[in-house]
Amino acid sequence: MLSALLAMAVPIAAQFPAYRPVRMADGHPNLNGVWQALVTADFDLQDHEAKPGPHPEVMGAYGGEHAGQSVVEGGEIPYQPWALEKKKQNFAKRTTVDVSSDKKWHELGDPEFKCYMPGVPRATYMPFPFSIVQGSSPYILFSYEFASATRIVRMDWKGEAPTPSWMGWSRGRWEGDTLVIDVSGFREETWLDRAGDFHSDELHVVERYTPVSPYHLMYEATIEDPKIYTRPWKISFPLYRRVEKNVQLLEFKCVPFTEDLLYERFSKQGGSK
Amino acid sequence: MKGTLVAVLAMALWLPASAQGPGKAASQAPRKPAPPTKPAANKSSAPRTPWGDPDLQGVWNDATSTPLQRPTGVGAKDVLTDEEAADFQAQLANDLSRDRRDGGADADVNRAYNEHWMDARRLKITGDHRTSLIVDPQDGRIPPLVPLSPEREKARTARAGANARFNAGLPETYRDMSLPVQCIIRTDSPPYLPTIYNNDFQIFQSPGYVVIAPEMIHSARTIPLDRRPHLGRNLHQWLGDSRGHWEGDTLIVETTNFRTDDGVIFQNANPGTFKITERFTRVDATTLNYEFTVEDPQTWTKPWTAIIPWTKIDPKEQMYEYACHEDNYDIVHFLTGARKREASETSR
Amino acid sequence: MRPIATLVLVLATGAMPLRAHHAFAAEFDAKKPIKIRGTVSRMEWINPHAWIHVDVTKPDGTVEEWMIEAGTPNTLLRRGFTRDSLKAGTEVIVDGYQSKDGSLRANGRDITLPNGQTLFLGNADSDAPGGEKSK
Repeated sequence: MLSALLAMAVPIAAQFPAYRPVRMADGHPNLNGVWQALVTADFDLQDHEAKPGPHPEVMGAYGGEHAGQSVVEGGEIPYQPWALEKKKQNFAKRTTVDVSSDKKWHELGDPEFKCYMPGVPRATYMPFPFSIVQGSSPYILFSYEFASATRIVRMDWKGEAPTPSWMGWSRGRWEGDTLVIDVSGFREETWLDRAGDFHSDELHVVERYTPVSPYHLMYEATIEDPKIYTRPWKISFPLYRRVEKNVQLLEFKCVPFTEDLLYERFSKQGGSK
Repeated sequence: MKGTLVAVLAMALWLPASAQGPGKAASQAPRKPAPPTKPAANKSSAPRTPWGDPDLQGVWNDATSTPLQRPTGVGAKDVLTDEEAADFQAQLANDLSRDRRDGGADADVNRAYNEHWMDARRLKITGDHRTSLIVDPQDGRIPPLVPLSPEREKARTARAGANARFNAGLPETYRDMSLPVQCIIRTDSPPYLPTIYNNDFQIFQSPGYVVIAPEMIHSARTIPLDRRPHLGRNLHQWLGDSRGHWEGDTLIVETTNFRTDDGVIFQNANPGTFKITERFTRVDATTLNYEFTVEDPQTWTKPWTAIIPWTKIDPKEQMYEYACHEDNYDIVHFLTGARKREASETSR
Repeated sequence: MRPIATLVLVLATGAMPLRAHHAFAAEFDAKKPIKIRGTVSRMEWINPHAWIHVDVTKPDGTVEEWMIEAGTPNTLLRRGFTRDSLKAGTEVIVDGYQSKDGSLRANGRDITLPNGQTLFLGNADSDAPGGEKSK
């Protein structure tokens, strides 16, 4: 009760006046809607300058990645030294793919590049909208436009993830007006951005979604992975409500965009197309 | 003969939209099939969400062995007696069983991987003892086809050629593989039909929306209830664009703007003239009736309607992530395997 | 034959070509049945197919690494099994059909333990299988 009072009385972000959100029947804030991040963290969680994307000789300015300031508290991700080297290798091979061997299927290439589900927290800051569907059942759905990825937040769920998954196993609870989501049980193959930032299967993410105005959620995520980082670290940025008339998620089913890239080399040459 | 029969049946089993659906638990007494498409009475008996909509929330399973189309062997009967139903269910379960070992190697190879890898509910007929999921036309069968235009005939022939190459194990490119094999869509494109496993759908609701998340392939279908117009004509989606409204206890959903890359959609229909209406009605605490009507004057002589009961399975059972494209080794196995066999053929 | 039995023939031949999941016969060869006995090195608990990797030691001492295609783990999860249910080092016997291209890959028709018990049969807990459960 005290924490609920504190959450209401103290604005999470200093620029917002104290806010009492509209509530669902159960008394919790109504987070329903279409939301989107405007930071460029999907290019790189840390400070990044504008740069050409892959194959600028073909893509020109279309492929360019714009500049952004770090969303990481303290600026830098606290990698163990060996892991920082691995990150650099990831980046160097981010647009290289080779699925000719099952054993090496995931060794190369940014999963986003291959249209694999982006995992958490990356799904939150991809340049695509997502929707939160919050009703009166013990589940909240997050539906992401990218790759039609979804994840189900199981409210007040106890226990470990029963199985590994790309989007992780999400356990939700309320702390005052903040939706706290504890996510673990990740497939290790997801990346955190296009810069090659990565994790292991021990990734553990705790997200906090706090309504600070009718049109903003403040998002924070604490990320820990003792195999990769020297300590837990935090990212934060606002999420903006998409308010266009009749706004809805559209489809970005990108599997067809990747099939030539992944599979055309195995085609019959000179066969009927 | 029997071996071939079972082989053909087993092949048909792999067609998610076909008759040979998986089983459902018959947890209530048999009853007559619901009459098609009458709006529910105003007086509501369904539980409601706090904002007043009928409550469909939860995890639902639609597996059944009841075939989509009525078999002609049962004559004109649409509903069976208890004894006939028991026979019908036993016969279907026997024919669908993946644990059979008779029929020779050709049948056997298609029966992988044993029953326990399949949805156990797929061996049960619907609780109302119907002989088909189709309730209209009265004969329980898909209406006759109209002749195709030359363009669609060409597209169908091309698709048949691709299927033949694939079934022979010699696909030329990934394009010879179906959308499910490519992991683009599986059971998530409406209408929803039972298949051999992962027959699960989770329904979410919020004020002004119903959202349905099928297990395969991890997508969510948002159905706004505010009577907004459909997307513009030039926006096409694999799962179409849905709009819904309530009539009494029944959610009515109309879906348009279907996308196709090879000219056809559901059951070889023409996307430009295809229409689908779905109706969701919660019948009791653990049952929801899912009804769909499809029509396309350029494909069938008349509309047809099917009703499939859904059973609530949560909280005891949950829906799990079904990633598909991420670990789809099959595509590479099929293609490299074909190249290997072609190479060994030509080197002879 | 009872009249109802004829239904399945009609069903099978009457089914229209629809969006097909793959037929096993496209990839695996009915003329190449296999029966192998080996040790599980790992199980890939993934969709669309789980894969059980089995090391088979041949009489001459060389080891063949077989990859056995299995079903969707989601079904097993709902029966109470997890990816830890099959431990590396477990000895298994696999009856199946080999890949048409001759690779050391097969679809697992029957996977049993040396004592004859079928792998993943039944439920991990003692509840009745599927269907009648949740109210």
